[in-house]
Amino acid sequence: MTLSYVLMQNLRRNPLRSVLTTVAFALPMAVFVAAISLVVGLIQIGQSAAKELRLAVHHKTTITNSLPEGTRRKIEGLDPQGRRLRAVCGMRWFGGRVPNTQNTLTSLASDVDTFCEVHQDAGLTPDEEQAWLRERTACVVGRIPAEKHGWKVGDRVTLESTVPPYLSLEFRVIKIMTEASRANYFYFRRDYLVESMNQVGIEDSRCNIFWVKCRTPEDLRTLQRDIDAEFANTPDETKSEDENAFGANFVQALGDIPSLMQAMAVVVVIVVALVAANTMMMSVRERARELAVFKAIGFHSRRIFAIVIGESMMLALIGALLGVVPTAALLTMFPVRRLGFVPLASLEVSPIAVVGSIGIALLVGLLAGFWPAYQALRLRTVDALRYLA
Amino acid sequence: MALPLKYHWRHLLSRRTSTLLTVLVVSAVVGVFTWMVGFALALRGSLAVADDDHKLIVIKRGATAESNSAIIPEDESRLVALSDVATDAATGERLISPEMLTQVSLPRLRDAGRTSANVAVRGVTPMAFKVHRKVRLVRGALFDLGEPQIIVGAAAAKQFAGLEIGSTVQLGSSGNRPYRVVGIFSADGGPMESEIWGYLESLKNAYGRSMYSSVNLRLRDGVDPQNVIDEVEGPAIQLSAWTEPAYWSQQSGLIKAYLMLAGSLIAVMSLAAIFAIANTMFSSVAGRTREIAMLRTIGFSGRQVLAGFVIESVLLALIGGILGCAGAMAWLNLVGNRKDMFGMSTFTTMAFEINPSPLMWGCSLVMVLAVGALGALWPARRAAALDVITALRQV
Repeated sequence: MTLSYVLMQNLRRNPLRSVLTTVAFALPMAVFVAAISLVVGLIQIGQSAAKELRLAVHHKTTITNSLPEGTRRKIEGLDPQGRRLRAVCGMRWFGGRVPNTQNTLTSLASDVDTFCEVHQDAGLTPDEEQAWLRERTACVVGRIPAEKHGWKVGDRVTLESTVPPYLSLEFRVIKIMTEASRANYFYFRRDYLVESMNQVGIEDSRCNIFWVKCRTPEDLRTLQRDIDAEFANTPDETKSEDENAFGANFVQALGDIPSLMQAMAVVVVIVVALVAANTMMMSVRERARELAVFKAIGFHSRRIFAIVIGESMMLALIGALLGVVPTAALLTMFPVRRLGFVPLASLEVSPIAVVGSIGIALLVGLLAGFWPAYQALRLRTVDALRYLA
Repeated sequence: MALPLKYHWRHLLSRRTSTLLTVLVVSAVVGVFTWMVGFALALRGSLAVADDDHKLIVIKRGATAESNSAIIPEDESRLVALSDVATDAATGERLISPEMLTQVSLPRLRDAGRTSANVAVRGVTPMAFKVHRKVRLVRGALFDLGEPQIIVGAAAAKQFAGLEIGSTVQLGSSGNRPYRVVGIFSADGGPMESEIWGYLESLKNAYGRSMYSSVNLRLRDGVDPQNVIDEVEGPAIQLSAWTEPAYWSQQSGLIKAYLMLAGSLIAVMSLAAIFAIANTMFSSVAGRTREIAMLRTIGFSGRQVLAGFVIESVLLALIGGILGCAGAMAWLNLVGNRKDMFGMSTFTTMAFEINPSPLMWGCSLVMVLAVGALGALWPARRAAALDVITALRQV
């Protein structure tokens, strides 16, 4: 009689309980895999942003206050030989939206010459880079807006700006960015914006943000200090932040969904552990006599322990699979990013999240089975056999 | 006669571990539920205050919000000519308030300044207090028109650093014009309470602006706002107008999505709690087969037995609910009840507080009762339908 045979028979003995436990386990695990996927996704974005070694330099008052175009030259002037910084790229907020829609895209007009060097995670191939440099109306689009509006490379798209002077510009898509950290952006050339503004009689080439690509993490820290010191007590004081600190300001303001998801994940683990423990306690209590018989006919304590723990882990595994697999499949088939809800855009089920969820479920099963299994061990064979339940 | 409550209570106590584990499951779910209801109510509450449909917010056509709108002064004079705008009974002035909106980045107090929020700064004239009727000074004084002074909304003052009366905030396009905080205002908890207000001309000067962001109008009583909106959006004026509730409902799309997400997560968890309770109750029924048969024999009806199990389950859920609510309260006190939410198109932040309210407790109670009752229904029916003779014979 193998262990797995005993386990399966035990699960089938009280099918109602097994089903209830499995469902009570599967539902929270479905929430868990979604929550942990978002957390994993954000950690990965954070890590890749940290690897990019970019410093965000913006006006000290707010990011909506603009800085003069010449700020770039001054920043480059801090390190003329380029020992610490590789390139500086100025950007201006365009806030474009597709005509007759409500959502404002994260659309920015970027310096032409340094864009590719500073934003290597945009992933432009040499050919695409040539197209970017050649075409005045070129735009580089993240896959979230691209999928939402059905844009493909080569398409002509029009955006209406939601900030003065409310220009309406036409672009040609030359690249869809797939990297998670860029998936929500829309970049186009700043010279195109400046010229278009000139045409309506506005001379304004100021920028909202300058991205400074640094060589090493150490350079990033020293540049952060030096840049802010350089502009201190000028009309345009700056605040420099690394990319993750810059992003944290927005995450907080968007209701802090990552924290909500983390809290949910913790609650889920607690709930499923309690559910599993409860079932195993009930199961062991009702089966006291049977376990005593096992002992009486010479089963090792170790074997008894394994039977109880094994059943608990089996329940957890089935519950986890039932919860995790459909959720993962559903989220992969219908990506949340299509909803266009920015704070959840990076919610994509990764293998790490799936494996992690099932691993956690097994761990929970192990821990939840521990106390009942210990009780089964302590069981006094004679008493249990005599006990009529 | 129904089964005495004591009977159920003793039963819960006799199966101590199982009861405790189930109670904890319910309490974890109810705790999160209570927090989320509080969050949703706080937001709704704040937005519900912005319900003045006789106040119109006029912005530039094509702009999505006041913060990215620019209106030239000539347009304002055309709005003054609208016949449906109310007049002040005492002075005979038109109740029309040109305003300018900009932002300042201030550290959040709740994470000790690790992150910053964009707080709205509104340039207004004294007329604004007649158009925005809910705004009133609660502490300190109004800003002096000749001095660089500001007043601060009560919600903003609580959540962002450096907004106490007497402190200074650096404003202006270069962030180098010190403005002193001289007063705190309330807007009955509405979204304007998250703003900073100063004198329009002074702020226009500091930011080098010649245009307004929005023009706010108070309409005469009895006027249909839609007629005025049509007139403002028509060929003669060509601006975009919103009533206050419509404007804020449009600005809060992100918040609604957030609440929907949180709501669906908690619904799944509640379902799981129902299954957990059902599991416990089934086991309880199975363990008491003979006892139930005995109750039936001495005259309790099947319906009474059914009611008894539902009561027992609700009792179980209630203990969990109380624990969960206590947990949510402790969390709010420990971690803080302050939150803020960002309008993607406004680029400014709305601050609010999660405060326990009777409605919040009521929602949690209903949820707990529902979970308890739904979880018990199936097992209790099984208990009621028990075949008495067979059960009594069972050993």
